Amino acid sequence: MKKQALRMIPLFVLVLSLIVSPIAHGAENEIKIGFLSAFTGVFSSFGKMQQEGAVLALEEVDYEVAGKKIEVIYADDQLDNDLAVLRAAQLVEQDQVDVITGLVSGDEGLTVGDFMRGKDIPVVVMYSASEDMTMREWYPFIVRPTWTGAQPMDVFGYWLAKELGYKKIYMIGEDYSYPYNQIGGFKRGFFRGGGEEVTTVWHPVPQGDFSSLIATIPLDQGYDAVLYNGAGSDAIAFVKQWVELGMHDQIPLLGQSNTFERPDLESMPKEIVGSYSAHLVADNLATPEWIEFRDKFVERWGHLPSAASEFAYVSMKMILRAIDLLDGDVSDKMAFVEAMRQVDMSDAPRSPLYLDDYNAAVQNVYIRQVSLDENGELYNKGIYRVEEVSQFGPYNPEIYMSYPEDVGNYPPDTRAQMPADLLQVEKDYEFIPFEQ
Amino acid sequence: MGKKRLSLILGIAVLVLLILLPFYGSRYTITTFTRIIYLAFLALSVGTLVRQGGMISLTQTAFFGAAGYIIGLLGVERGWVFPLPELIAILGVLLMAFILGLVVMRTHGTVFLMLTLALGQICWAFARQNTSLLHGWAGIRGFRPFTVLGIDFTNPNNYYWGALALLLLGLFVLWLITNSPFGLALNGIRESPKRMASLGYPVYWLRVILFVITALYACVGGIISVYATGIITPTTIQMSRTILILLMVILGGSRYFWGPVVGAVIAVWLDVLISQMTPRYNTVIGLIFVAVVVLAPNGIIGLLDDIRNGVKLPQLKRWWNSISAKQSRDSSV
Repeated sequence: MKKQALRMIPLFVLVLSLIVSPIAHGAENEIKIGFLSAFTGVFSSFGKMQQEGAVLALEEVDYEVAGKKIEVIYADDQLDNDLAVLRAAQLVEQDQVDVITGLVSGDEGLTVGDFMRGKDIPVVVMYSASEDMTMREWYPFIVRPTWTGAQPMDVFGYWLAKELGYKKIYMIGEDYSYPYNQIGGFKRGFFRGGGEEVTTVWHPVPQGDFSSLIATIPLDQGYDAVLYNGAGSDAIAFVKQWVELGMHDQIPLLGQSNTFERPDLESMPKEIVGSYSAHLVADNLATPEWIEFRDKFVERWGHLPSAASEFAYVSMKMILRAIDLLDGDVSDKMAFVEAMRQVDMSDAPRSPLYLDDYNAAVQNVYIRQVSLDENGELYNKGIYRVEEVSQFGPYNPEIYMSYPEDVGNYPPDTRAQMPADLLQVEKDYEFIPFEQ
Repeated sequence: MGKKRLSLILGIAVLVLLILLPFYGSRYTITTFTRIIYLAFLALSVGTLVRQGGMISLTQTAFFGAAGYIIGLLGVERGWVFPLPELIAILGVLLMAFILGLVVMRTHGTVFLMLTLALGQICWAFARQNTSLLHGWAGIRGFRPFTVLGIDFTNPNNYYWGALALLLLGLFVLWLITNSPFGLALNGIRESPKRMASLGYPVYWLRVILFVITALYACVGGIISVYATGIITPTTIQMSRTILILLMVILGGSRYFWGPVVGAVIAVWLDVLISQMTPRYNTVIGLIFVAVVVLAPNGIIGLLDDIRNGVKLPQLKRWWNSISAKQSRDSSV
């Protein structure tokens, strides 16, 4: 055994010499952006959508701002939180990036946010929607020009109760943090608007077969609609089985923000026409900003942009404009964040937006209906918009944050159990028809 | 004798280089070596079972994760301070390993492999689907290193030294075990359990004890891991991690004492270096693994061993022979 131990030594020397040789490099005239996302693995479609949006923004300036070259370092975490920490460490300690962006899932965002605390490097969140990143676990280096899970859903719930008069909703959802936050926002809006009950049923991810979950929906108990609170392959499977079991003739189907999103919508049956959802984008937006972005995107990548692509485009654009504002000097990271707060993003494709006190976006929310276009393809047709929606909805931030984060069994399922604080606000949403 | 002396000097040199690493290595090198250390503990856990007992266990990663979850539940969520959560984690994992060991050690070969696979997967699925206690996908985050005996382990350099000291201690203990009568008896059991039983050795119990000891190594790795990364999630104990650890053991050389450690060093550095070069890094690493398994079935150490002993690589030699034979045939035509 001793002999074997000794034989190891040349190898150790080899490896050590490899490590001591410097790997990190970097020119003075360069600004490094670390792009941490899922570029391989099951969720790689998100990484690809983000990359397409971000690259479009970078190519507009030819990877150069204020005389500085912009270098993007892609780090692949496969949406594995464990790997995300490792890759974040690599970006910070080895590549010495000036800012980290990307991030897809809520848990990934919170994990990386937790890791980056105290590192004093801006984290610009492109898609991760867990609200606590810019609320209860916020610190000044986190910037999120995108969204939280509750942000569009509070509007959606309020609209269904107030405008359509829905009282009882049956929700089936994926059992993890993002759907919790989505239905949390939905319940607050729904009960505030006069809704009575949201029954919540959670299933593990991925589920695949939904026949028993759909079959046990109690159609005789006066539910106004069923809300599927899931996305991706689960949403496609759910919607297909929903139609196969003939449910579309019996009760309306609603979706969370991502249920009917591209590219999944293209795989869904046409029978779901009429289903409502709420998001920060709509396919028939007619603002010049959106049309310009959409056409540029289609020209570059050959397909329509998804919300994730637009979010990445806006995030990257905000970073680039902040660098420009600072004349290329990003050595003071707090000033970098301050510059991101200052740059004008009122020309963002999806809606004018600005950042609140917690660096989270205040922006339009769109109520959408799945519709058929002239080619017979499904698309998300915007029908109403609400302007300047904050991550706190219509609530006072202190009151909002005095309640715990949304989990599987909070907020409660009925209006009667809802804290009275959350049932009334000074000023609620105003729904503007889409054509105006 | 001169050869031995040279090796000893080299060994001390490597040790000194490792200890002095924080003075010349970058911050990221320290992070990476800390990762190597906790994965090496896990690889030692799997590798020792293979080397001493001839058993491939796919449950070890679950012990690694169980330690993290226990500390997360007691230390992070309930605020218990060191060393209580860590001690409970160790005791809990040992108990878990003992109970599971009673069951799995009744089996051999493929059945053992499948049984440990099932147990590992049950633990993973439980962690992923239990949202009330273990928080499902999200896992538990917010592990923070602490100060012990006046040493501030929030400093990554101190943390690295602490982990390195534990690894050296762990290797020393493992070396003692390997060369003890217990270790030798295990070697006998690996070669022929029936013969050892007929000689009067309590084969079953010796194997259970080995299983518990290796679980302890996985547990220590898990403890180092959670404080280094700050989180524990189901992905920490998923199948791909188990396979990666097994590959480390094979890569280093499953027959060798140092095999798991060498495998951990190489696998982690391959990932670090190649992931910067190409987005297809998983493909490249996979091809390297395949090449090693095909060309050097005894791992990197086995390969070096062969070279040192002047033995030609059997596969390469055969391949070369076939080509040269073909060439001479062609030229004669």
